[in-house]
Amino acid sequence: MHPSPEAAGAIYDIGYRHYDGLRLGRRGAVTAVVGAGLRAIFGLGRSGRSKVIPWGALILATMPAIVAVAIRVLAGDLIDLYGYDSYLWQIGALLPIFVAAQAPELVVNDIRHRVLPLYFSRPMSRFDYVAAKLGALSLALLSLTLLPVLVLFVGRVLAAEDVVGAIGDEAGALPAIIGSGLLHGVVLAGLGLAICSLAARRAYAAGAVLAVFLIGSVVSEVLAEAGGFADIAPFLSPLAILDGTRQWLFGGSVAESPVGAADVPLALFSLATLVVTFGSWAVLAFRYRRITV
Amino acid sequence: MPLISTRALTKRYSGGVTALDGLTVEIGEGIIGLVGANGAGKSTLIKILLGLLPATEGEATVLDLDTATHGARIRELVGYMPEHDCLPPDVSATEFVSHMARVSGLPSGAARERTADILRHVGLYEERYRPMGGYSTGMKQRVKLAQALVHDPKVLLLDEPTNGLDPAGRDEMLALIERIGRDFGMTAIVASHLLGEIERVADWLVAIDAGRLLRTAPLASFTERTGQLLVETEEAAEPLAQRLVGRGMQAVADGRTVIVDIASAGEGDHGEYAVYGEYAVYDAVRDESVALNMALVRIEHRRHQLEDLFRAGGTDAPVA
Repeated sequence: MHPSPEAAGAIYDIGYRHYDGLRLGRRGAVTAVVGAGLRAIFGLGRSGRSKVIPWGALILATMPAIVAVAIRVLAGDLIDLYGYDSYLWQIGALLPIFVAAQAPELVVNDIRHRVLPLYFSRPMSRFDYVAAKLGALSLALLSLTLLPVLVLFVGRVLAAEDVVGAIGDEAGALPAIIGSGLLHGVVLAGLGLAICSLAARRAYAAGAVLAVFLIGSVVSEVLAEAGGFADIAPFLSPLAILDGTRQWLFGGSVAESPVGAADVPLALFSLATLVVTFGSWAVLAFRYRRITV
Repeated sequence: MPLISTRALTKRYSGGVTALDGLTVEIGEGIIGLVGANGAGKSTLIKILLGLLPATEGEATVLDLDTATHGARIRELVGYMPEHDCLPPDVSATEFVSHMARVSGLPSGAARERTADILRHVGLYEERYRPMGGYSTGMKQRVKLAQALVHDPKVLLLDEPTNGLDPAGRDEMLALIERIGRDFGMTAIVASHLLGEIERVADWLVAIDAGRLLRTAPLASFTERTGQLLVETEEAAEPLAQRLVGRGMQAVADGRTVIVDIASAGEGDHGEYAVYGEYAVYDAVRDESVALNMALVRIEHRRHQLEDLFRAGGTDAPVA
């Protein structure tokens, strides 16, 4: 019966115990997948090496806010280094790197090593699974798209001589801060996961994510420089599309963004965002419906 | 009250393959062998019972819950061990099994405790902290079994649990399944195409072939007496068979054996008193073999063999 001699003599072999405690069902399953996803993204419980990119990105994304607050404390209102409007555009390069490095971890191995039947033979559905993974990546992305700007906000308030008055002055920016953060987080999570779900290996997935973002923004910039294509150029870059949408929703242009050079209604960028978002979700739905268990 | 029942269950895949063809069966408690050749429909049946696949026609219930409407609730109470590899290589068994326990709905503390318990029960010790990529096939099968057990299901669905194991590994896996069925008080449905294995642990067999029910019965009845006597001789048995037929019995020779139908023996002529049934056959065989000067090797009741099940209709008969 026992596979090894030491097991046969183990004093803690106390027989099988049944479980009649709490069962959290579908909600417990989704919570578990979101939690495990977040732990995987931030390398918690894993080697130090797997923490480098996520935590490095988080620090790099927050650094400008801290520097801006520090300068504000020293120099007062004289120098306004980073505004709320341009912040996400300034740290934009970190977003694709973060997604490329961490999103493959979430989905590729479950498909590649056929773990999905084990999930789907538990209380969660395919939809629940995809939603949980999307939720995990969106939440993780908020650490880059929302947290640093909130640090900037809090810093600016606290750095002011009249804190209470500063809250009044700055609070008007909060809806734009939260809205932009959520917009970037949710859309990029969908796009990133959709790309990764199609890749056979994590390395391919990472490469594909980088390709979509980098090729998009490089072509977009080349076209913008070439002249004559300024109107379509920003639509090739996911980050420019998001910036256009942000400008349409909350206003506040960014000097470096190709959105400014395009002579098109900003509403078109929102349309493009909807296409990207629902397109990503459709790819995910298609991908996961096709997986046989 | 059956734990599992299906009524006219049919599954046709879009490619036109009919995996289940009007299967009606009721399954009770114990260790149930679900036997059939590869492609007989075993895996399809398991997936429908889990609510993973919709049935084309008919219905199935597990623990009185309809698979079409209560899939999520069923999956909370059932454990499933797939046939194929399903373990990510870069996670440890402890991490993986406790994650799966939580996905089954257990709170995190209970998930950790039960993971430690179950891994010990399946015989995984120090190695449970190492990444599973380095595990042997036997260890991987144990983890697959552990993840199916960790949430303390009422019913276990095991799809070819001895797949890929060497003889020693098979013995250990079968011993584990037996222990789960006897000591853990779970009903285990073990799908297998290896009859010789399944008959070592099952107390009930459900045999399916080409998506249809072949037979469902206690294991013992699969191997019960056939009502025939098998007579083995030292030389070609044909003359003996002819003489028995001459006495009005149904007897067929096959090489050096004769199979005699006991019911056909009727009343034997034994001089002062009459003998019936098998005793008449014994007498006849004795007398005729003496007359033929033929040496006998043995006479015994012929029993059904599991393989007989598939010999009749099976095109792709499984090897035991």
